[in-house]
Amino acid sequence: MRTRCRYLLALLFVGLALTCASPGLAKVYFQCPGYNPAVDSDGNGDGMLRAADGEISAPLYPTQVCVHLVGGDGFATMADAADTSMYIFGFHNVTGVPDDQVMNMFDAGGGVLAANWPAPTLVFSEGDYVYLTLTNVGMMMRPDLFDPHTVHWHGFPNASAVFDGVPDNSISINMGSSLTYFYHVVEPGTFLYHCHVEATEHMQMGMLGNLYVSPALGANYAYNDLATAFDREFPIQIHAFDPRFHKQHIAVQPLPFARMRDTFPMLNGRGYPDTVNSANIPNELGYDAQTLPTKIEAAPGDTILLRFSSLSTTSFHTLATTGIPMKVIGNGSRIYRGAGEVAGQDISYMTTSVTLGGGEAMDVLLDTTGIPEGTYFLYSTNLNHLSNDTEDYGGMMTEIRVQTGL
Amino acid sequence: MMRYAKRRTAILLSVTALLLLAWGNAFGYISGVTGTTFNLTARHAHVTAGDGGSIPMWGFALDGGTMQYPGPTLIVNEGDAITVNLTNNLPEPVSIVFPGQAVTATGGVPDTLTMAAPPGGTVSYSFTAANPGTFTYYSGSHADFQVEMGLLGALIVRPSGFVETNPATYSAYGDAGSAYDYEYLFLLTDLDPVAHEQFEFDKLHKVDTTEFTPVYWFINGRTGPDTLAPAKAGWLPTQPYDALARMHPGDRVLIRMIGAGRDLHPFHTHGNNYHVIAKDGVRLVDGASNEIGWSDFTQTVVPGKTVDGIFTWTGAGMGWDIYGHQQDIDNPPTGDFPGAGDIDHNGNGVIDNVAAEPGEDPADHGLPFPVTMPDQLDLTFGQFYSGSPYLGAMGALPPGEGGFNAFGGYFFMWHSHNEKELTNNDIFPGGQMTMMIVEHPSVFIPHYEGETP
Repeated sequence: MRTRCRYLLALLFVGLALTCASPGLAKVYFQCPGYNPAVDSDGNGDGMLRAADGEISAPLYPTQVCVHLVGGDGFATMADAADTSMYIFGFHNVTGVPDDQVMNMFDAGGGVLAANWPAPTLVFSEGDYVYLTLTNVGMMMRPDLFDPHTVHWHGFPNASAVFDGVPDNSISINMGSSLTYFYHVVEPGTFLYHCHVEATEHMQMGMLGNLYVSPALGANYAYNDLATAFDREFPIQIHAFDPRFHKQHIAVQPLPFARMRDTFPMLNGRGYPDTVNSANIPNELGYDAQTLPTKIEAAPGDTILLRFSSLSTTSFHTLATTGIPMKVIGNGSRIYRGAGEVAGQDISYMTTSVTLGGGEAMDVLLDTTGIPEGTYFLYSTNLNHLSNDTEDYGGMMTEIRVQTGL
Repeated sequence: MMRYAKRRTAILLSVTALLLLAWGNAFGYISGVTGTTFNLTARHAHVTAGDGGSIPMWGFALDGGTMQYPGPTLIVNEGDAITVNLTNNLPEPVSIVFPGQAVTATGGVPDTLTMAAPPGGTVSYSFTAANPGTFTYYSGSHADFQVEMGLLGALIVRPSGFVETNPATYSAYGDAGSAYDYEYLFLLTDLDPVAHEQFEFDKLHKVDTTEFTPVYWFINGRTGPDTLAPAKAGWLPTQPYDALARMHPGDRVLIRMIGAGRDLHPFHTHGNNYHVIAKDGVRLVDGASNEIGWSDFTQTVVPGKTVDGIFTWTGAGMGWDIYGHQQDIDNPPTGDFPGAGDIDHNGNGVIDNVAAEPGEDPADHGLPFPVTMPDQLDLTFGQFYSGSPYLGAMGALPPGEGGFNAFGGYFFMWHSHNEKELTNNDIFPGGQMTMMIVEHPSVFIPHYEGETP
């Protein structure tokens, strides 16, 4: 009851703030040339409108892709026994939701309080022309804030300043309005994306996620090189929460920046054992904010591509495998060959661990040929990160299951 | 008409920008000191952080001058015999190690890693700068404390054939693969003020270097946003080096990254990838001169190590004309066209003769800006935004917005991606943050100090 009052009060404040602050120009505006909502829809449910899938009636480009994200707030549930609830900022995919319904609450199909943790995974193909609309739905639980948001496609080659999402160097979108980013995707690889507004705060709060691009060679290659073929792929992003930061945040208290201390280490928004739970994880509102398990499954003989990236805001992490060696074939969204060129010298190498700081990406192949069936582990060798806050036996870890029939 | 008006704007802009530059900018090259003999003094002074904090430091001073953080960037030539004379004005022995060089120490007193200058005394180091590359130097005495206090610097060895006033000779390692147009240094350090305060309050006996909680993060001895201020800015007397990088589309930019503090930092280059060409001053090529360095956008900068990369940015493949030529194409100038090479760029039935910029992607030339911009009132503007999405152009900005982008360049943030390091003692933004500006091809960027257009 008390909780409901809190939300209603906050809603009232947001409503008032938006009414008073906006001169009536602010509007949700999903830009997708040639898209006709009357007849077009996301037929295959992949969260995007793709001309190649026949989901845009009159596209400008045969490889046009449109996606509509909102930036806002919400809650996520940690993997400890207490199911600690964490106040978060985050992105949520509303592609196909009519513009006049985007500002609805999460339980009415809108984007308010609908933040996902991590952000929805974005998958594109080399050659795509991407229209990415970002609508700022405001922070319901922090009606005192008027933060804009951006999307920063981290690692985008030859970026323009206007679509790079750095607020200092370009523009960011205010609450109640939409900004459309445009990307001509010319390079395949494992990228990342996040909000760059007050980056330390918005990223610690959760505005980050996986983004990768399949090469022209085919969807079962990491890069335009036959040696990067795989059978199964898993985007795996490192990140972590400092519970004090999130508690201070919703309590409208000064935030610990310099002494930020992450104690909920995660892969794709979950600590172990939630990483191997294939179900969605509901938050304190009963909304499924966490929809990305990190259950790595393969049949014997399969080659697994792990698309590693880190958006930790505090530290470097090393991820190691037990039993299955890694082959590093990509780094910094480029093939791991001389100068990052497909024609370059082969410098790929075998290892059992990789280290990533915030903002780094790496592609690793696991060849299960000759590997006995069973359960193996992918875990952080920063051993203090094998915990969910004060509880051991968790944290930055997941399972790799090699089994016939999987 | 429109093109004429544009040119006039460009001239106006250039004049404004020249005025800005006249105020003492040293952008386009690495500030440092050249020569074969360097007289350094270890002494005490303060540095300023972006939050206004004043931090007591130890550092190296050149020729008995002011202590600086980092120490003087020593720029020497391959093959030269180098002598560094150190005078110690600090209360404990100080020395210098030069990793990557075969050093002979003369005088001084024995210390952990090399001979040291006792308090009030001197020591001399000599070596032959045998190989070109990016190196570092720092105290080899009580180093866990003294390096934290600021006794560190960069050493750059130029390859044979390098002539400062002739950019055609510029390369990092004397080969085509390391050739560049502009070069920049990013020396990364971190700082916990506690030990510094203990020194200032005469409590050196209380210093515990096992406790280290940095709250300041520096590039070239400055925290953001001071990194963007001109080199040798009068208001930063002990922090003479800036970290602002500039280039034109298509330029090759050498980035020299040095880890000089205690922590690792993931240094991220917005805008594009770079090609890693050397580590610790050793060129990354195999026996057949094939490149064996990788491509990256975030470099793990490790304490005590250096990395060199070649960064490029062309804007190719954007899918729209970054110079905004379609505006001219839609309103073609009157004159004698069609001429050779004129085409109908946007297919509207009118032959256009708007020339492409040097290096512009022909596939993008004349393509319109792809999206509709929201109303200005729905946007928040950054101070480095020109108001226009086009390179080298200015656009309308609301009153009080923008203003820090003299040439309408594309600003790209280069920063530590451990995002908590973008703060100055708990205040955001700041820390290990600077900018790379991609300027319009017509903007003059000096290659060396004193170069004129």
